[in-house]
Amino acid sequence: MTGPLLCLMRSVSEHFPVLVILLPLCGILLCPLLSWIRASWGKRAVMAGLFLSAVCAAMQLGQVVKQGEAIHYWMGGWMPPLGIEFVIDGVNGIVVLLVAVISFLTALYSSPFQPHNRQKWFQTAGYYVLIGFLATGLLGMASTGDAFNLYVFMEITALSGYGLIAIGEEKGPIAAFRYLLTGTIGASMYLLGVGFLYAATGTLNMADLADRLSGLSDSPLVILSAGCLIVGFGIKMALFPLHGWQPAAHSYAHPAADPMIAGIMIKVPAYGMLRFFYCVFRENSPVMELFFQCIGIMAVCGILYGSLKALRYDTYNKILAYSSIGQVGYIALGFSIGNFYGIVGAVLHILSHAFMKTGLFYTSGALKYRYGIHETDEMGQIYRKMPLTGGTMTVCALSMIGLPPFAGFFSKWYLALGAIQNRQYFYVAVLILSSLLSAIYFFRILEKLFMNPETAHEVPVVPTEEMAEGTRPLPSGKFELPWQMMIPLAAVVLAVIGLGLCNSAIVNEVLRQTVEEVFLQ
Amino acid sequence: MDRRAKKKLAGLILIILLAAAGGMKAGSFLPVIGSHQTPANTYLSGYYIENAMEHTHAANIVTAVLADYRGFDTLFETCVLFLSGIATLMVLFSKAKVKDRRAKEEPEEPVLPGEDERGRGGSILDTSFRIIVPIVMIYGIYVLFHGELSLGGGFQAGALIASAYLMDRIAPGFETRMGEIKEENMLIVAGLGTFLYAFTGILPMLFGGKFLEYEKLPFGNLVKGGAAGLHGAGILMIEIGVTICVMSVIMTILEVVLERTEFDDD
Repeated sequence: MTGPLLCLMRSVSEHFPVLVILLPLCGILLCPLLSWIRASWGKRAVMAGLFLSAVCAAMQLGQVVKQGEAIHYWMGGWMPPLGIEFVIDGVNGIVVLLVAVISFLTALYSSPFQPHNRQKWFQTAGYYVLIGFLATGLLGMASTGDAFNLYVFMEITALSGYGLIAIGEEKGPIAAFRYLLTGTIGASMYLLGVGFLYAATGTLNMADLADRLSGLSDSPLVILSAGCLIVGFGIKMALFPLHGWQPAAHSYAHPAADPMIAGIMIKVPAYGMLRFFYCVFRENSPVMELFFQCIGIMAVCGILYGSLKALRYDTYNKILAYSSIGQVGYIALGFSIGNFYGIVGAVLHILSHAFMKTGLFYTSGALKYRYGIHETDEMGQIYRKMPLTGGTMTVCALSMIGLPPFAGFFSKWYLALGAIQNRQYFYVAVLILSSLLSAIYFFRILEKLFMNPETAHEVPVVPTEEMAEGTRPLPSGKFELPWQMMIPLAAVVLAVIGLGLCNSAIVNEVLRQTVEEVFLQ
Repeated sequence: MDRRAKKKLAGLILIILLAAAGGMKAGSFLPVIGSHQTPANTYLSGYYIENAMEHTHAANIVTAVLADYRGFDTLFETCVLFLSGIATLMVLFSKAKVKDRRAKEEPEEPVLPGEDERGRGGSILDTSFRIIVPIVMIYGIYVLFHGELSLGGGFQAGALIASAYLMDRIAPGFETRMGEIKEENMLIVAGLGTFLYAFTGILPMLFGGKFLEYEKLPFGNLVKGGAAGLHGAGILMIEIGVTICVMSVIMTILEVVLERTEFDDD
């Protein structure tokens, strides 16, 4: 028995791309059984899977950086156009690491939200299966090099997303149903686009598609499929005119899963769009002209619309949700700028915004958990009782506005550099204007946090049946929150500061080579 | 219908007409269905047709592509089913079950001859049900093993076996013959079925292969036909996993919905 295991240990470094997906998957599939045996084993299995997956993702990224070239993993040993392959390069290596880390943190963060009742073991198991599948789907979407495989992972992501939104707050099921309708249209549009490409080329592998499309770039079929893909990815990443599902979904999702839904569920499709358009259609095809114009307009409208809408609301989650529409606009703006700085800015913004928004939703969940706070008006002086939560909120909000030395500043800086290099000064103006707008709405939150009189009351210690999912009293302890929730909050703060300080290392060591060789050849 | 609704309807019809017009235009660029000359039929399909049998011992090329060449996709399609079962249960979990259906269904009428105590469906339904269910189940298992040769496979087999349970659940009133199944426990089984699929993929990794590389499965001395035989064995294993998953997910969803639906005659 030791022989095979030794064999796996020796060759484990070859298998990183698939292990990143498989470890959480095994945890999820065994989770119901383990939870049935003992209520807490199931969730520990999923968390262990996600933790090991994050470790593998980190080691895989190290491997890519050391080798200086992409890792290809052939599923079933079949050569690429025949079978499915995973391709890990510098850019998606770092996206995979981001997804794995945030998923693990969110799984840890969720555990105090689960019912302690032994009879309800199934609720905990089901929740962890859903969150684990959300992570698996996103990891797969970021890793795969096959167009149809991406669709399969998109489905997994979407389905677990529907589940997690529907089990959320009171309006959750309606929000989930809206997302289900729109998300299904998005997935169908993506599939339609891939179908047209398949009709034009006869292959589904992205690299092979790129080779076989090079002579076909004028074909109406390809242009049609590009349109379908823009709509498909646009719906999934909630880009401006296609964002209809997003505010409700992000506001009413399960408070513990919300950080993941808001933080990374809309970022990975954005990465998918980057990869699809820059790697499959390639820079100099006429399709890209269409893409640049279309995405540019959508991005600018989205940035302004999101920031203006966020000014209108006083509900914390709503402000954050509308601000996400604007922030996704930044990422799309980077795609439409399309030079080195633009793409680097977009990728950095995927990373930094994922951490910032996740952090803000962690604080939102923490406020709901302890005080049942939904409105910003109720947040007065809360930082005295919950210093870590208040601190995280401040750091993430300042980073969202784009103040140095936090991460949000540098991604916007790269975007502005890219726009100046292309002489698109209009984009620079939009960037500055929207940063000012976001300063207004985030300072409104901070003002209420620090200046308003204290209004929040501790939730009664004995939980009642009617008590909402997110408002449970503290167990015993000296700290403001259970430790499972403190660690993610602290980790996000460190990540936001760290990403800001190390941005040049990330750009030069990890992203530069891939962006120059793969995206801008 | 008020004015706004009318306007919305008009807009919707306009969009559909525009899309239809666009679709007509786009349709003329699409390759002809069934033509030999299209890229979709000339590029990879030829390779699959020529080599699938030799590589995988699966006479049915669809099975070869589905379960072997693109087996990774199918693993996650199976996961989608498992996920749908979990999601259904999670969403409907908080809705109360219809209680005491059994008590209401046992009025003090005399039991008719030919109808046993538990069956409420009448004697014809009862008898035909007894004949049909075993046949359906045998056919389900046949479809599972026949999938490599012709139409069939795990998904269909799972649906058939679940339909036997469905008949059992519905035909004789709300009393089941096989005994009522708890939906949570069915999902444990579904998870294990999907895990069997994933495990079939992990096993070759322990013996020096890639994920889902059936050639490296350690059953070399059990299976005839060398590498291709091992591919056949791998396909069979994953089909069994898929069958278990599909069957239990359908049963779960059925249970979850049935127990929470109020019927007119309740």
